[in-house]
Parts: sequence; structure tokens; C-alpha cells
Amino acid sequence: MPSATLLGQAVVSGLLAGGLYGLLALGLSLSWGLLRLVNLAHFALALLGAYLTYQLGTALHLSPWVAAIVLVPAFFGLGIALHLLFARFRVTEFTSLLVTFGIAVILESVIQWFWTADYRRYETPYASASFKLGPVFVPLLELFACLTAATLALATWAWLRFTYVGKALRAAAEDPAIAGAFGVDHRRHALLLSGLSAAYAGAAGTFIALIATLAPSQIWAWLGVVFAVVIIGGLGNPVGALLAGFLIGMSESITMAVVAPAWAPLVSFSILIGLLIFRPERV
Amino acid sequence: MLEVRELSIAYGGAPAVWDVSLDVGAGELVAVIGPNGAGKSTLVNTIAGLHRPRAGVIRCAGVELGALPSHRVCRHGIALVPEGRRLFTRMTVEENLEIGCYRDEARAERAAGLERVYGLFPILRERRRQLAGSLSGGQQQMVAIGRAMMARPRLLLLDEPSLGLAPAVVDAMFAIIRAIHDEGVAILLVEQNVIRALDIANRAYVLEEGRIVAGGAPDALRRESRIREAYLGVAN
Repeated sequence: MPSATLLGQAVVSGLLAGGLYGLLALGLSLSWGLLRLVNLAHFALALLGAYLTYQLGTALHLSPWVAAIVLVPAFFGLGIALHLLFARFRVTEFTSLLVTFGIAVILESVIQWFWTADYRRYETPYASASFKLGPVFVPLLELFACLTAATLALATWAWLRFTYVGKALRAAAEDPAIAGAFGVDHRRHALLLSGLSAAYAGAAGTFIALIATLAPSQIWAWLGVVFAVVIIGGLGNPVGALLAGFLIGMSESITMAVVAPAWAPLVSFSILIGLLIFRPERV
Repeated sequence: MLEVRELSIAYGGAPAVWDVSLDVGAGELVAVIGPNGAGKSTLVNTIAGLHRPRAGVIRCAGVELGALPSHRVCRHGIALVPEGRRLFTRMTVEENLEIGCYRDEARAERAAGLERVYGLFPILRERRRQLAGSLSGGQQQMVAIGRAMMARPRLLLLDEPSLGLAPAVVDAMFAIIRAIHDEGVAILLVEQNVIRALDIANRAYVLEEGRIVAGGAPDALRRESRIREAYLGVAN
């Protein structure tokens, strides 16, 4: 049995890592839940954002925060462009899996072509900055990523809950024809939501660049665990995605501390399978 | 108010409605009766903009609706209470009503609209924060009518409002339909309860296999032997 300090450290690290899971899950959950598009390219977009942050920082010496101010709006536009493509070819929930898988493979190749398959590490002065909370280390960057995820999740929740556009999006997710009969222009809203989802991928990318070691194949490393987070959190539910991120992040890091790192995926997928067995109506 | 001329609709490849012409005058209550599968729902859904007609004209207050994108149709004062209610079940009662007043003109009168709907259906005020999917069938029908009323319609399309409801609730529903009509809203009512529909309507059409086979005042229709046999269960 590990010491209390080690456990405490595992809880904090897990929470912080979970924030990044939540941030990645957010955009995916929105497009899946509200547009019925399963966007496998979401991870590729996030990693592209990470590489671009890295490139702007190393080649142009642009601070990652300035890079984010450029990248997030650019990704918003990219998301709209992608959705126009999906709408043009009448992509459905099922075919979206195939199409976005293809886009993910293409983006992986593009990343590999520009940056090679070598591992890249973006060194920044604050990469190792942390403070001590009692005996536990809290890395600043990961804390900031976590706070950003929480802010975006809550803001998105409030937007969906309280604005007419948000209500229209939820209504159209359930019955687009009837929502249309009351004046909801779902195609315009879908573009907005796709842009937002890609912008979230861009924001996640900035943090991935700062926190993780970059390699093109990272796209697939995120896939399983973030899918679990999206489903556990409930499709189209931003706060659910955030909380599920915390849950999976913590269960992984506690498993790593108590048992062994290799067991971590088993625990997160057991949670997912348990949920699908006992609460299937949530999916 | 509403003029439909030589309307044909194909639904899922097969023609569902042929050469239908009908009128609803301002403030009039017109019923469409006919057996299941006659194309009644297809007809009202198309008027509401859910399907594109294959041929013919749908005109509301002089504006041609058939070619408009579906989210524009409601601007011309048409609101639909669809068959089976089709509420947004994962949203609250009040959110469903708010989608009703989504179009700009109606949105400005959201508060007055909610008061009017809660006045018609006091139970909905109590349930306004509840998920629409958790209500009873009768209450869901109230939400569906309330949602349409929030759009401030001049023409209300009611598709089988009494379907699946308990007899006492059906009585209440017809009283509400009469009350809405008394406020001056024109109504096109599709109803399988022919006796009730003919009681309440100013005029009625009979739709069979996608075609209008009879039409006129309720009294005249009640006297036609074919209609007495087929719809009113009276042997001649």
C-alpha cells in the first residue's frame, strides 16, 4: 500500500490530467451529442494544434499564449470548413466515423511529413513550474489547463442551457424537422457548433504542446480514453464530459500508484463497460 | 388565409397526396377526416414545411410557401401540432414552449405567450421545470398545443390532437381547441374522431387514398350515406 503522500499526489495528478481529458472530450461530446457526428478527426486537430503551437514557438519565438490567440480562431474556421464538407456529402452518424477516420489518417501523415515521426518536446520556462500544496506538488501548466477546461465546460453548459441558440441546438438534436417548423435554422447552428468544437481542439492542442511529448501517433493514444470520457459524461453534456474526465484521470493515476501503470486502461474501460451494462440509456 | 391548389406530395418515393385543393378562411375551423394512411398527416406536415410538395401551390395570406426552406414557413403565421406530439423530451416544459416562440416576432412576446399558455393549461405552470418526456400523454399534448400557440399563429395545424388520450382528457382537449378558435385563430384539424371533428368544425373535407372525395358543411356530410356508413358507424 503506497503512502498517504503518494496517494495524495496521485489524486492531484489524476485530477489535473483529467482536466485535459475533459477539454479534449468537450468538442467531441458536443458534435456527437448535438450534431450526431462522431468526429475521430478531433484528436488529429488537437495534435495539429499542438504541433503548430510548437512550430510558432520554436521557429518564430511566439509565446504559446499568443499562438493560442491565433490558432483558436483559425481552428474555428477550420471546423466550419470541415462541417461544410460533411453537409455537402450528407455525412450521417455512421459514415462520419469512416470519413473522419480518413481525415485523421491524412492529418497524421501531414504532421509526419512536416515534423517527422521523431519525438518533439517544446521546452518552455514554465514547463516545470509548480507549487507545493502540503506535501503534494501541483504543476502550474496542468492546473491552468484544468481551469481552462472547467471554464469552457461551464460556459458551454450555460450557453446550451440559457440562450435561444443553445436551446435550438438541443431541440434540433432531438427532432430537427419539428425544430425547423418553429424557425430553427439548424444548418447555420451546426456550422457554429462545429467551429466551436474545432476551436476547443485547438485550445487543447496548445496545452498538449506544453505538457506532453509530441509524436504523430499520439492521435491514436488519446482516442480510447477520451471516447470513454465522452460516453461516461453523456453525449452533448459539457459538464458531464469534464466530470468524467476527472473520474477517468483520477482512477488511472490511483491505479498506477496502487497497482501498476499497465493496469490503468483496464480501470477506465471497466468503468465504461460497467456504465454501458447498468445505465445503457445514458448513451 | 390558407389556399392549397392541386397539391401533390410524394413521400418516400411513393405518391401520398394527389391533386388536393382546399381552403381555410381567416378564423375558420376546417376538419380533414379520413382513414389511416389516407395522407392526412403528410398533407398538414407539408403545409408546415416539413416536406417539399411535388407539384401544386400552398399559399398563406397571399405568400407562396411551397418553395420556402422549412425554417421560413413559420414566419407566415403557421404553427404545427404534429401527430404523436413530437416534443423535445429531454428539455423542460418551458424550454419546449420557448422553442415555440423561437422566431423573432414571437420571441419579443415570450412573457405574454407563456402567460397565455399557462392560462389555458394551469398544470403546465406547475410542471414548467419538469422534462417534457416525463409528463402524461394528455399533458404532453397540452405542451404540444402550447408550443404551437407560443408561435402566435394565425393558422394552427392540429394533427390528431385526441389520439391516445383518455375520454375525459379528449373532452378537455376539444374545449381548448374551441377556445383557441374563439380567439380568432384559424384551425386546420386532422382528426380520427369523426363525430367530434364534425361537431366542432365550420367545414370539413374527406381525404381517402390521397384524394379529396367529399367536402362541405358538417351537416351536409353527416347526411351523406357513404360517410354515415364509413365514418359514423350508422347503418342505412
